[in-house]
Order: sequence, then C-alpha cells, then structure tokens
Amino acid sequence: MKFTWRQGILYATVIAMEGSWLNVVLELINEKAVGGLLSTAGILLLLPISFLFNSWLYWLRWHRFFRGLANIFAWVIALLLMVKLQLFSGSPWADSSWLLAVPKAIANLLYAFAPELIILLGSGVGWWLGWRLAHTRITFSAAIGEFQFGLVILLIAFATARGFEIQIANATTIALFYFLVALSGISIAHAEEGKSWLASLQSGHWLGLLLISLSIIALLGMVIGSLLTPEFIKLIVNALNIAWQAVLSLIMKVIMFFANLFPMEPGQIGPPEEVPPPQDELGGFKPHELMPEWLRRSLRLGWTIMVLGILIIALWRMFQPLFRWLFRRFSGQTDAEFESMQGAFKADILSFFKRIIYRLLRLKLPFRQKAASAEMSPIRQMYRDLLQWAAAQGYPRLAFQTPYEYLNSLEAVLPESGKPLHEITRHYVRARYGLTSPTDAELHELKRDWHEVKKRKMKPPGTSRDKETPHG
Amino acid sequence: MASTGERVDVTAIGTAAEKLLTNIGNVIVGKRDAIKLVLVALFTEGHLFIEDVPGIGKTMLAKATAVSLGGEFKRIQFTPDLLPSDVTGIYYFNQKSAEFEFRPGPIMANIVLADEINRATPRTQSCLLEAMQEHQVTVDIKTVPLPRPFMVIATQNPVELEGTFPLPEAQLDRFLLKLKLGYPGNSEEGLILQRFQQENPLDRLKAVIEPAELLELQKVCRKVYVSDSVRDYVVAITQATRTHPGVKLGASPRASLSLYLAAQSLAAIEGRNYVIPDDVKTLAIPVLAHRLIVKSESSLRGQSAESIIGEILTNTPVPVEETK
Repeated sequence: MKFTWRQGILYATVIAMEGSWLNVVLELINEKAVGGLLSTAGILLLLPISFLFNSWLYWLRWHRFFRGLANIFAWVIALLLMVKLQLFSGSPWADSSWLLAVPKAIANLLYAFAPELIILLGSGVGWWLGWRLAHTRITFSAAIGEFQFGLVILLIAFATARGFEIQIANATTIALFYFLVALSGISIAHAEEGKSWLASLQSGHWLGLLLISLSIIALLGMVIGSLLTPEFIKLIVNALNIAWQAVLSLIMKVIMFFANLFPMEPGQIGPPEEVPPPQDELGGFKPHELMPEWLRRSLRLGWTIMVLGILIIALWRMFQPLFRWLFRRFSGQTDAEFESMQGAFKADILSFFKRIIYRLLRLKLPFRQKAASAEMSPIRQMYRDLLQWAAAQGYPRLAFQTPYEYLNSLEAVLPESGKPLHEITRHYVRARYGLTSPTDAELHELKRDWHEVKKRKMKPPGTSRDKETPHG
Repeated sequence: MASTGERVDVTAIGTAAEKLLTNIGNVIVGKRDAIKLVLVALFTEGHLFIEDVPGIGKTMLAKATAVSLGGEFKRIQFTPDLLPSDVTGIYYFNQKSAEFEFRPGPIMANIVLADEINRATPRTQSCLLEAMQEHQVTVDIKTVPLPRPFMVIATQNPVELEGTFPLPEAQLDRFLLKLKLGYPGNSEEGLILQRFQQENPLDRLKAVIEPAELLELQKVCRKVYVSDSVRDYVVAITQATRTHPGVKLGASPRASLSLYLAAQSLAAIEGRNYVIPDDVKTLAIPVLAHRLIVKSESSLRGQSAESIIGEILTNTPVPVEETK
C-alpha cells in the first residue's frame, strides 16, 4: 500500500484510538481477574505489529486464503511469545510448558480464569484490529465511527471499573490522549477529503496549521484536565447514581404494581418454608456407583459441553444483530456518507434497535422474510453485494456517485473485469430506475459474471487510482 | 404526468435525435454535447440561452437547428431602439378595408433567434415573457397564439457590456437551458476552415424533421418514466440551492420542473424510457446555474453559480442501493 505521510498519521491516530480503549478494557480485566499480573502495554504492541504485518501481506498480493493462513499463524506465534515473555520469563525456552499454557488454560476455563486467557483475548482483539485496519481505507466517516465506538467502550469500561471499585492507572491521561488523537484523526481525515478549510485556502501551510490545531487541542485538554478534579468527577458520578437509583425505584414500583394485580394464594407471599432433609430411602445405595468413574466423567464432560454449546448458540443468536451492526460500522463504510456526530449516535442506536426488532419479528413470523426478500429483485441484491464487496476491498461508493460514475472508479482498479462490471451496472440501473428486471437467462449470465468479478483482486487503494476517480 | 410506470417506446426519439445531431453536426463542428442540449430544449419545448464570445457559432447553431427542424425561422437583432411592437406585431388601420388588422411580428415563428438579447431595453425584453411562458402574445387587447412548436434561442455576449441591459431574473427563469459553446479544439478549428472553404454548409442544409413530428415526439418525451427516488433527487438538488450559504436567490419550482422535464428528454434522446441520476447530474448546471443569484461576498471568494451547483451535486446523495 502506498502511503502518503498524511495517511500514515491518519492510520497512527486510529491505532492510538483503538489502543486507548483496548488498554482500558485490558487493564480492567487484568485488575479484576488476575490482580494486575500482566503488562497490558506488551499486549497492545501487537496492534501496530499486526497492522504492519497485514499491510505487508496485502502488498504481497497473495491469495486471500494464504493471507488468512499466514495471518493466523503469525498471531499464534505472537500469542505464544507473549505468554512466554509475560508469564514464563524465568523458565528456559526448551521447557515446553509455555507452549501448552494456553490450551491448558482453555481446558480449565470452567474452573479458573488464568492470565493466559487475558493474553489470548487481548492479543486476539489487538491482532484482529490491526488486520482490519490494514484492509480499511480511513475516511472521514470511518474516523468518526472509530471515535464513537471507542468513546462508548471507554465509557462502559470506566463505569464498570467504578462498579467494581477498580482503579485504572492513568485513566484521565488515557481519556485525554484518546480525545487528542481522535480529534486530530478526524481533522486530518476531514482535510484529506478536501472538505476542510485546511485543504483549501491554506493548503500551502498545512503542516503548520496541523501543528497549531494539535497544540490548541492539547492546551484545551490540559485546561479541561485541570478543571476536572476528582471531587468534581465524584460529584457528577454521585448525581448520576442518584438519578439512576430514582429511575430504578420507579421501575420497581411499576413492576410491583403490576405484580399486585395478579391474584395470589396467601401462602405464596413471604419466604419459603423450611424443607425437611429427604430421608435415605435407598438405604445408603448411591446410583452413580452403578457406572464406572471414567464413564461418569465422560458423561459429565459431554453434558457440560452440551449446556455450554446451547448457551453459546443462544448468546450468538442474541448478539448477532450487534455483531452485524459493529461489522458494518467497521468494515462497511459502504456509502461513505458523513453525518453530524450527534445525528450519527442517534441514527446508529435507532438503526441497531430497528435491526433487533426486525430480527425478532422475522423469528416470530417467517413469512415476513419471504415478503422482504421478494421486495428486492435479484439484480438489486447482486448490486448490493457488489457494493459491499468493493467497500470491503477499500473502494466504497461515495454518496454522490451514480452507478455509472462508480463503475468508472471500479474499472480503474479492476480493468480486467470491466465488461462484467458494466453489465451488472447496466442491468441494475434498468431495474432500479426503469423497473425492467433482467430475464432468467440474463440473470444466470450476470451471476456468472459476478462470481468472476469476486475472484479478481483489486489494486490496493492509493497505488494506481486515476486522479479523476473520487477515491484517488 | 405520465411517468407512472407505463412503458413508452422512445425509439423514434432516438432516431430523430440522431438525424438532428448528424445534420446540425454538418455545420457545427464538434460540440456534440452542446448540440445534444439544444435537442433537449427542442424536445422539452423549452427555450435556450447561449452565452459566449462573438464568433463561436451561436447564431450558426440556432440557424442550423431551425433549418433542420423545417419550421419557420425568424431572427430578431436586439438593439436599444427596438420596441415591443417590433417583436410582437401591431394592429394597424387598413384604410382599404376600413378595419384594424393584425400585422404579425417576427415572434410568430417556430424558432426565433433573439440575437444579443441584452442590447434591448427591459421593456422590449419583457415582451418575450408572455410569449416564452404561455406561447401567446397580447397586442392591444387581443391575444394571439404562437405557432407550435415554439422555441426562443437567445444569445448574449459576456464581454462589451457597456450600453447593455442585464436580463432580469424573471426573464432568465424562463429559459430552460443556458449553454456555453467554448472555443473549438485545434483539429476542430482546422475542420471548420476546411468545411467553410468553398461555401457555407448551412446553405446546403436540409430539414430532417417536420414540426408536426416534433410535437408528437415532445408528447412521447413526457411519458418517459421517472422513479420516485430520481424525482426526490431532483427536488433535493433544487431545494439545496435555496439553503446554500453562498446563494442569495435559489432555484424556483419552475426550475425543478424544468430539470425534471429536461431529464426526461435527455433520457429519451439517449434511447432510454426511464430517467437515471446521471441525466439529472448532466443537466443540473445548464438548467439551474443561470437561475441562481450568487451573493456578492461569495462571488468575491471566487464562487460562481456553476461551482455552487457542483458543490451541491457533491453533497447530495444519489439514490442507489442502501448497503446498511
């Protein structure tokens, strides 16, 4: 990937943003679970390493499968090294216990939460963030998205830390640093897209203006930092706590009111009566002794796995909309529209709840799914897939681009697929604006074209884009 | 409006447009896009405003269009002493028949070339308002309908503004499109010299379409399908001109209607029976720019109506598949 120094700074700010909230989360888990045994800074290092490694892999232009394989392999190596350096620094390299530490920790997950699991979690998230960043073009809307997500995570982490009465080291500094890098990143992304005064009138003095902006942000941070004394924060937190308690008591009162509406037996209210211990009717006979110990253990293990599996599936079903939403926020950037921060929060939250409600409705009423899919013609679905695929490759359609303008952009980076892309776009335009859907034969042909296009690799962003293309 | 999903065959429009393009192209070298805009105005039954420096071919383009159409063509040279009656015609007393009789002015034609329109006084310029909007003129107390199709092609020289009268907004708003021809390229200029060496190709130009046929094609253009999303896109662009901080006076509802109708015509010329956002984007500057009044402070900052429309197009999302 060909980086300009501005893009370099932009990526650095996003890494710093992600590093900030990841640091707080890891510190929280580290303190709560293992009493601050680990060094989170070491784990955080994996994020930039992963970014550089994956950028290099992307530059090599291997097949996606091999890139994925190399990426996983590198992560496993990094994970093992991290375990060795953090937990087995005293033992010799020849001692294989550090290699088996993570599998053992996973096997004992039901009984104890080992520090290896924090390294596994932290390194996994850090590595994944680095991988994602290497495949994402940081635009203004992406920077805004990163900032919003990080801010929410930070707030949750700080609130949780207060709930558990855990002291996170340098919390204020991290928060200030987060805002500094986030605002810098957003300003740079804004200027990079040519929408800012930085990129227009004073373009000749860009570096100077950037430094002045950073200085002002840092100065404001220091002023705010000096104003936000612990007493002041405590006052705010107490006020929030009182408000929350009031809301909670109101909710409880409402629940109690509705509960009182149901008829109850007199004996049902109040604590349950003492139950006398059951008499040994079997005369000391223990049923589990009917089966050998190994079978009993195996059955117990099987039962545990089944219950855990059901639990995980249930959790997955519950959180799937959330993951999808997060995924779209991260990798989508599909329509690259930017919106005001306030509006973005509101829109995102509404969109998230809308998805959950829609999903619930769909679960209850299966025919709704059929109706929804019938609304969208196959060619429109195909074009939507094309947009998502191209966005994931780093070439999202910009909001002001028409399908044909976007086609020009795509043809510049995928010249060998010009004809199939043109056909897909042409049929999409006919269906979208002219209400003329392709015939079955044409659709079959288009599906084949689309599979061909998907197999191709796009030129990495910033390598050979034409100047007139909007992404260039 | 018949853009409700009914399929319409636009093959005849495509064929007619191609014939006109070729025919006018025999006289006007290059400038295919500009000629296409002239055809858009022709098929929309709108009026055209051409602004460019002298010698570019403005009058030639207007004449070639008129000849290709085969209708009646009249040219009015606008001068400061031109009177409204010189344009619309007059009622005079015929002593022979002892009655007042109407003597039609040059406006009574299918294509009227208003050459250097800004040289006439506002009073004379205003006499075109009724003709352009309502296709009729009122002389004394009598209203006379104009022949159909009716099209005014006005030209204006952007330099040498001394002694001229800038067109009022009401007048500009009545022009469907404003276009600039621009200087020809090297090869094009060479070709012009070659073509005009022996004789004026305009003299050999023949009509390729009849006025009655054009009227039918205009009706077909109105049936070109416009989806709700594209219609909303047109509205969004027009409304954005009213809220843009650099604009003193935004585009009127007549402007959004013009953009809508012109997009239908362009789609038909391109051989499509439906409008796509590209049509709207192509026409946004020619249709809207001349109707805006840019604030003086914005002009001082180097902003023009064209650049503002360009900015609006960049900030208005195109209706394409949602991916979220």
